[in-house]
Amino acid sequence: MLEVKQLSKTYDNMRGVNQIDFSMNRGEIVGFLGPNGAGKTTTMRLITGYLYPTKGEILVDGISMTNLPRAARRKIGYLPQTPPVYPELSVWGYMKFIADLREIPRKQQKERIEQVLTRLGFEGREQQVIRGLSQGFRQRLGLAQAIVHDPELLILDEPTSGLDPKQIIEVRSLISELSKERTILLSTHILQEVSSICNRVLIINDGKLVMDGKTDELMHSNSEGFEVTLAVKGPESEVLRTVNAIESVKSVQMAGRQASDEASLARIKVKAFRDVREQLFYALAEAGYPILEMSRSSVSLEDVFMKLTGSSSEEGESLE
Amino acid sequence: MSRLIAITRKELHMYFVSPVSYAAFAFFFVIVSYFFSANFIGSQLVDVRLIFDSMSIISVFVIPFLTMRLLSEELRQGTDELLFTSPANLTEIVLGKYLASLTVLLLIVTLSFAYPLILAQYGTLELPVMWLSYLGYFVMGATMMSVGLFASSLSSNQMVSGIAALGILLLLWIIEWIGTSVYVDAQPLIEQFSLIGRLSDLQRGLFDLSDLIFYISLSALFIFLTVQVLTRKRWK
Repeated sequence: MLEVKQLSKTYDNMRGVNQIDFSMNRGEIVGFLGPNGAGKTTTMRLITGYLYPTKGEILVDGISMTNLPRAARRKIGYLPQTPPVYPELSVWGYMKFIADLREIPRKQQKERIEQVLTRLGFEGREQQVIRGLSQGFRQRLGLAQAIVHDPELLILDEPTSGLDPKQIIEVRSLISELSKERTILLSTHILQEVSSICNRVLIINDGKLVMDGKTDELMHSNSEGFEVTLAVKGPESEVLRTVNAIESVKSVQMAGRQASDEASLARIKVKAFRDVREQLFYALAEAGYPILEMSRSSVSLEDVFMKLTGSSSEEGESLE
Repeated sequence: MSRLIAITRKELHMYFVSPVSYAAFAFFFVIVSYFFSANFIGSQLVDVRLIFDSMSIISVFVIPFLTMRLLSEELRQGTDELLFTSPANLTEIVLGKYLASLTVLLLIVTLSFAYPLILAQYGTLELPVMWLSYLGYFVMGATMMSVGLFASSLSSNQMVSGIAALGILLLLWIIEWIGTSVYVDAQPLIEQFSLIGRLSDLQRGLFDLSDLIFYISLSALFIFLTVQVLTRKRWK
């Protein structure tokens, strides 16, 4: 559905993006991640034809954005970072303008606009002036203009930014619903969003694509292992010896004792994605040291993101 | 064509909901009416040319207010992303907006018919002079609108665009005086480019096609420049 080939954009005095190369199949929903200023918005603006690339090519369903921009743009619905709405117009007036601009035949316009507005929860608000709408409704209206012409490819630039938690959930579920019938490229810096709605992730850093893969595969391939935390009833030295004897265990760190039930606490790092919980159970049971608690913490998308973008922990903490 | 009309219609709607447009209209007609009454009472002459002199000069100051938001506001609020990623091309977008500004100009012209109608109560109007003066004023106003549209593409700040338009229009107005003061021999040549000076023949009832071609060419040049500025923004 979308092919981005060796795409580069150089600004006068700023870095843009450098040799971005990826493609998207029909029906995919792809999360586009990267720290602020990494080049997400630039890439999206290039794909939608808002900016012209310095080098490279964009094909939308096989149509070149450079050679046939009008035909390529017809296939795209785009929600920029700031919803592109005119505060002076009414919701209906705005959608009518978009329908004309998007060449929806006059006879179909009313039905199409009604359909989209109903889907996005605008019943009873059609005549309301956009100036009076909340940020959440403006964002929805931005989505409405992006889908009214029924595009095959949706480009959404941070669709949940500036929304309150309730609105974020609503917009996310809306995107999930839309993804059933469209190909979606979604930029965000909310990693939770990607793990919950996207089936593939692109990570961009410093204008370059540093990772492209399925969300779960990404976490596996970039993981150095996962951790198991244990509370075992038994002497620390014996627990340490028994656990260390298991082949898949990379390292064990004793973390003191729980006063309440006299259990030793151990944090165990495991060699790349081997699940050792069963082995731990049998080994400690055989040694006569019962496990009172066992929990596993796997690597998160945040960890992968931090590793690939080299972000500092402070930046990481600011990520939702 | 439907895209162009959609943009024109949207722009016209924006004009009629904007308080700036009403203020600019009010300012224009208050000042022109003042000069009209002062001239008419002072000279006791039924002469339509006096109306167009004041209308032309006031337009230099009012038209920047009517055009400053045309593209600046799109750039400021990010709606340019909506327009530039739609199937409409840059020329359609610019022409759509220009057509809206011409409609507003036509409204000014229509409302200004009140002045000759008042004059007609007191004497006989020279109709050829009146119609040619109106034609001259309209093409000059259309050129001013194209200058304003161009200035509006230069910045996302409406005030900056308005001041830029005013600067260019003032320059095109006073260019003949500059010519006289800098190099006397160049005056006839420089006069040719004076936005208001070029109206004098039409206001005398003399139709010269070259005057019309001058205004139309200048309008086309500024529309072309507007498209170029927007194209350059997308390459930058």
